[in-house]
Amino acid sequence: MAQAAAAGHATIFEDWGSDVTTFKGVPWGKAMMWIFLLSDTFIFSCFLISYMTVRITAAEPWPNASEVFSLTMFGAPVPLLLIAIMTFDLITSSGTMALAVNYGYRRDKKKAIRFICATAFFGAVFVGMQAFEWTKLISEGVKPWGNEWGAEQFGACFFMITGFHGMHVSAGVIYLLIVAWRLHKGVYDKTNYEIVEIVGLYWHFVDLVWVFIFAFFYLW
Amino acid sequence: MSSEVGQQHPLSLYFWIWGLLFVVSAGSYFTDFMEAGYLRWTLILTFMLVKAGYIVAIFMHLKWERWALIYALLLPPGALLVLMGLMAWESWDYTWLSRVVYFGEDPYPLRCPDAANPNCVPMAH
Amino acid sequence: MAQAEIPYQEAMPLHHPHSWVTKYWFSQDHKVIAVQYGITAMAVGLIALLASLLMRTQIGFPGAIEWITPDRYYQAVTMHGMIMVIYLLTAFLLGSFGNYLIPLMLGARDMVFPFVNMISYHVYLLSVVILLASFFVPGGPTGAGWTLYPPQAILTGTPGADWGIITMLLSLAVFIVAFTMGGLNYITTILQARTRGMTLMRMPLSVWGIFAATVLGLLAFPALFVSAVMMILDQVIGTSFFMPAIASSFEPSASEYSGGSPLLFQHLFWFFGHPEVYIVALPAFGVVSDLISVHARKNIFGYRMMVWAIVWIGVLSFVVWAHHMYVAGMHPYFGFFFATTTLIIAVPTAIKVYNWTLTLWRANIRFTVPMLFAIAFVITFVVGGLTGLFLGNVIVDVPLSDTYFVVAHFHMVMGVSPILVIFGGIYHWYPKITGRMLNDTVGKLHFWITAVGTYVIYFPMHYLGFVGVPRRYYHNEPLGESAFYPASAELLNQGISIAAFIVGAAQLLFVYNLFVSYWRGRPAGDNPWEACSLEWRTPQTPPIHGNWSDTLPTVHRWAYDYSVPGEKEDFIPQDVPHRA
Repeated sequence: MAQAAAAGHATIFEDWGSDVTTFKGVPWGKAMMWIFLLSDTFIFSCFLISYMTVRITAAEPWPNASEVFSLTMFGAPVPLLLIAIMTFDLITSSGTMALAVNYGYRRDKKKAIRFICATAFFGAVFVGMQAFEWTKLISEGVKPWGNEWGAEQFGACFFMITGFHGMHVSAGVIYLLIVAWRLHKGVYDKTNYEIVEIVGLYWHFVDLVWVFIFAFFYLW
Repeated sequence: MSSEVGQQHPLSLYFWIWGLLFVVSAGSYFTDFMEAGYLRWTLILTFMLVKAGYIVAIFMHLKWERWALIYALLLPPGALLVLMGLMAWESWDYTWLSRVVYFGEDPYPLRCPDAANPNCVPMAH
Repeated sequence: MAQAEIPYQEAMPLHHPHSWVTKYWFSQDHKVIAVQYGITAMAVGLIALLASLLMRTQIGFPGAIEWITPDRYYQAVTMHGMIMVIYLLTAFLLGSFGNYLIPLMLGARDMVFPFVNMISYHVYLLSVVILLASFFVPGGPTGAGWTLYPPQAILTGTPGADWGIITMLLSLAVFIVAFTMGGLNYITTILQARTRGMTLMRMPLSVWGIFAATVLGLLAFPALFVSAVMMILDQVIGTSFFMPAIASSFEPSASEYSGGSPLLFQHLFWFFGHPEVYIVALPAFGVVSDLISVHARKNIFGYRMMVWAIVWIGVLSFVVWAHHMYVAGMHPYFGFFFATTTLIIAVPTAIKVYNWTLTLWRANIRFTVPMLFAIAFVITFVVGGLTGLFLGNVIVDVPLSDTYFVVAHFHMVMGVSPILVIFGGIYHWYPKITGRMLNDTVGKLHFWITAVGTYVIYFPMHYLGFVGVPRRYYHNEPLGESAFYPASAELLNQGISIAAFIVGAAQLLFVYNLFVSYWRGRPAGDNPWEACSLEWRTPQTPPIHGNWSDTLPTVHRWAYDYSVPGEKEDFIPQDVPHRA
């Protein structure tokens, strides 16, 4: 049983020493998604480590993210306002996703589909805000090959890392919609609806990556 | 494929964590208004890890998985910590210093013990 | 051992083929996909072999073929290296052996997601097509050396610095996608879809090696993927991740570059590149353990030790990467750290060599063709491994770096050794794949030419390295009187080249054997080598789609019950119960 984690560390040796399955009670798709996310962790970490390296080694000053990403509200610049909204948007979508998973396992198909669609909606909003952010920055003169405030790697890292993350969000939105459609069609009716948890794992991972990007790129 | 029932938890738990994530994110955002310094860095990293922890443990249900899976997922990223540590060490202590010494000026003079410099990024060294 | 759990694989729905296309082209049968991977990898490997022969022509007989210009020479060097390491060795050992052996050896019907598995091969094929397309783009393929170091890889003057490098990096990125799809399947199958009684510690070592290598691949290829993305950005839109301002002093048009770090690329590349060595080596270790045990009619010595050695090599392979960078100008303190970890990784490797040797010790050895290749592997690996100890020490490595000593070392240890295992494995499993034996006489001829030729080619290279012959040099001529290595080196180079031509030609024997035996080979029967592991216990040979009859086999013992005292037969298959 999945809930048996409390049974203690001895289960590690039982599980890894057993036949048939190593991860007890974990469906194939879920195991595969977890392993994929582990691999994806390495991709994002390599991006972030590269960013750290070029930032530390930069002999030119690094532009101040807090100023670059500020929005002017009521005549005064508010630092990182859009980024904060994007963060809250993504957390909101994580919450709706968690509810979708929960309703999936309660076999409440309608609510699960509704919350999946809500998640996809918040994801799409995120991508939209990102597009706005990119357009604004580019018009202000931040290019991947240079900017007027300092080290040119600033723009390069920004577009590469947020771009790769944005691609993950976009792919996630499509994935969510496909799952919602197939749920609606009844493709998964014979299963435990673990597909909702699998797509949920992916979606929470995308949110997780954003936590690190937010801390390391925008706040550093 | 699995005959077992998946994760079942009361909804209130999710709402609690959801709320906490908002609070922590807000805290994380407000570090941006702080003076640069060790305190700010500590808060940034703490909020980051708390948020990541809640997402992975509760939303991704890792807390309720068996240890066999938890360890299989949490140990491998250790390799990344090695890469990160060595790259930080080399970038700061060697590449950056060589560039400053041989090619030009320090944009942050001596990585500024002078806290008045707004560009100051104190680095653990 | 709890055996209550029913393997989900037993009732797994299979997508049966309805036409020639779904049977041989878009097949979802892991065995067909394995053969597809194998044929593609071998075909592209032949191109790499041809590239190496071009190189040897130029090195042994400078100017003999005027078509080989310096540019073409460097392109041959690069494509030879890249194809051999990624598109042949990685793809063959994991894509072909992995696909074929994992489900059969574990008693599974197929991979857990056959559709993803099928896509994986076609994406791999796409990466190969992009790779081959680079031969036809303006400027030809990249000539930056297989390590593709920037800044030179994308600066004018390096052959293929515009289109060539882009297609190369794109092809690598696509390959990584293919590998990820395949690799996720392999790991999930090994962890979640074994048959009853098949614990991890009863798996044949082949599966262990493939498993560890796949884990390494999934964790190491991301670093290559990331560096490929960044280099494409540097080349195409002019970012400066890897390009320092100094690059613009070589190329006025590159004046926009500033502040990039070429060292970063090298770190990322080798953070992938060193595990890659073990991605190639670990499956070879595993397969050769099985070959030795079967043909020596003896259980593998120290099975548990072998497993833990594989695991520890895998873990340590992530903390040794910068031993490829001793002369790169990295942080001077790193040498100590990486030399230490490098020497530590020699310990589990040495354990494996001892155990192979002790398995052979006083065994009832059958000198079949697979066994010959396995023994040749052990010897070659020891030679290559020992020179690795030289190169792992900073102080010895500095003078030897970028000489033929390094070329000899890595060809012995990760070029020829895994190739010998691939040959051995093909001779071993061909009867299961086709139902017919490969021709023994041709096989032995192929073996002796290949094995002896290897030594004729690579042994003298150690000497060349010691006298200071640098690698990757087009020729020694412009140095004339002031040439810094002796004229005798030229003579050796000629000898090496002639041997290389002979060994290269001998591979045609192998291809001929593969083709002719498919129709004319001696019928093999179910278990020609009298082996214990499950793949020889399928009801049909070649196994049908779905591998087993209605129920999956139940495993009662490990895969190495050879010559058990007091038993009538000298081997007891894994699915035979213990006597009450």
